[in-house]
Amino acid sequence: MVDTIYAEDEIIGTKKAQEIISKFRHAKVTSIKRFGEVFNPSNQNFRIQKTNPALILAKKQKGFVLDAPKGFGIGDQNNYYFSHMYNCLYDCSYCFLQGMYNSANYLVFVNYHDYQNEIAKTIKKHKEEKITFFTGYDCDSLAMEPITNFINDFVPFFSRYKKALFEIRTKSVNNTVFRKHDPLANCIVAYSLMPEALAQILDKKAPSVSARIKNMKYLANKGWRIGLRFDPLIYCSNWKAQYAELFANIFKEIKEENIHSVSFGSLRFPKSFFNKLLQYYPTSEELSFLRSNDKGIISYDQSIENEMNEYCRLELMKYSDARKFFSCG
Amino acid sequence: MIEKNFEGVSVRWVIALKGEAEEIIKNYAMKRVATTPFPVYKNKDLDMWLILSGIGQLNAVAATSYLYVKSDASYNTIWINFGIVGSRNFKVGDLIQIDKITSIDFQDNYYPSPSAFKNNNIERCNLITVNKPEKLFENDGAYDMEGYGFFSFAKKIAPYELVSVLKIISDAPGTDLSKIDKHRVEILVSKKIQFIEKVLENLLDLQKILFLQLRDPKYFDEICLQKKFTFSQKVTLRKYLTQWQARFPLRNPLEEIGQRMTASQILKKFSDNLLR
Repeated sequence: MVDTIYAEDEIIGTKKAQEIISKFRHAKVTSIKRFGEVFNPSNQNFRIQKTNPALILAKKQKGFVLDAPKGFGIGDQNNYYFSHMYNCLYDCSYCFLQGMYNSANYLVFVNYHDYQNEIAKTIKKHKEEKITFFTGYDCDSLAMEPITNFINDFVPFFSRYKKALFEIRTKSVNNTVFRKHDPLANCIVAYSLMPEALAQILDKKAPSVSARIKNMKYLANKGWRIGLRFDPLIYCSNWKAQYAELFANIFKEIKEENIHSVSFGSLRFPKSFFNKLLQYYPTSEELSFLRSNDKGIISYDQSIENEMNEYCRLELMKYSDARKFFSCG
Repeated sequence: MIEKNFEGVSVRWVIALKGEAEEIIKNYAMKRVATTPFPVYKNKDLDMWLILSGIGQLNAVAATSYLYVKSDASYNTIWINFGIVGSRNFKVGDLIQIDKITSIDFQDNYYPSPSAFKNNNIERCNLITVNKPEKLFENDGAYDMEGYGFFSFAKKIAPYELVSVLKIISDAPGTDLSKIDKHRVEILVSKKIQFIEKVLENLLDLQKILFLQLRDPKYFDEICLQKKFTFSQKVTLRKYLTQWQARFPLRNPLEEIGQRMTASQILKKFSDNLLR
């Protein structure tokens, strides 16, 4: 899988770095001063790098816990996110990471304790207030779990902070780590979903939607709480029928009481991200419906957005309590 | 071998000395097209050029920039620095592909992209660029006199993934440097030419990906010839035509354009059509 590892001098000798390196016996390990030497140079091409991504092991220096964007959340008043990793094993065509980063290399920050210290401080700051921490936005944490052991480290950590919600956003069907731990009431395993036919075209290298539903059912039966994330909603010629079928398939398998929250939001990008994506995927019909709006964001026409949100809301209300519904942006 | 009919092929070799370049020149049928300030060679059918830079970092930078201008190299061009190096870690005659480049004069290090190493089974090694021939080989890696200078410039004119440094081990600790003559170097290179071709083929595959990303959408040139578009209108037109091709592959956008339409009206027409 990975034949090149770059490791910062400062962390190459740490237990976590060595644990990860030992999983790639045939990879060439090259020492670097700071990850930015490899990850940040401009003039790199994301799509070409995606043909053979390297793994970069680094130490996060600052910005461990960040405010979630305004309006983003699943019910709590305080929302934060943190990223121990940038870039993803999967290769979804609409993924904003391709527009955001110059490099497709997998960057893993191995100093998990520093993240945990900052999270603990943030929880303390909010005392009795409700607070949610999101992970899996700059990577798919669960997909990389066999390499990073991130969830294995963070589930026990969050078990000490019952008032803080911990959301793991994923498309992975790897459930090994959830079998090792008892279900945690404040942990949400949130699945990104879209109609199967669209996923077959767009969610490259990711498990099929039916496999994701099967895994959600397995986890729900084990007692884990499930999040449904229809983000992004994708507009296409027969989207109504496709989404109706998707919702029906999910709720045929999973009991409503196992669902913690449902959120949805339509496809949108900052302009610079979109321009890169259009260059990478000139033949994508899905990208052909997007336009620049007056806020400089590339999205569907407002009427399409409203129609999709409204339709999906009404359709989902057939199966789930609308108080569990949240908007993604 | 290289697909001659693929329009995106564009390759530039930067090599210090004739002895190092001879087999490459022969293998890719290049002919001399200039003598000063640097000897330059070119294949008559392909957009493939080679320059003899002479020894040292300054020469490498000067030759690379000269060839960039002289050959009108596009952004989507493969740049390869090839030559002989000394090392204590490899056997004489080994071909190595460079994955880290350092210089005794500069702080920054460079890391050629792993995309270029995929599936070629060629040994990888770090390169230390020095200012005079190395005899002690105190550190692991390969020692040369051009790689750092070459890469520092080439990475500005081409994507990282298309810039590669490829070397053959010619000397190790204790080698009598006076015995490394042109003939001996040519033999070393000729024995590895098939592997060098393989590296180039891999780079050409990457170049194809980029070529498809960078080319203008169908009908872009024709429409720009018909009406006067400003720079920013051209950017929008390029975007709309890309989306048009994806959405209406069988509809010719030229047929949507009325004779008296202005550039803005054309863009509006495309935009309205693409809304749903």
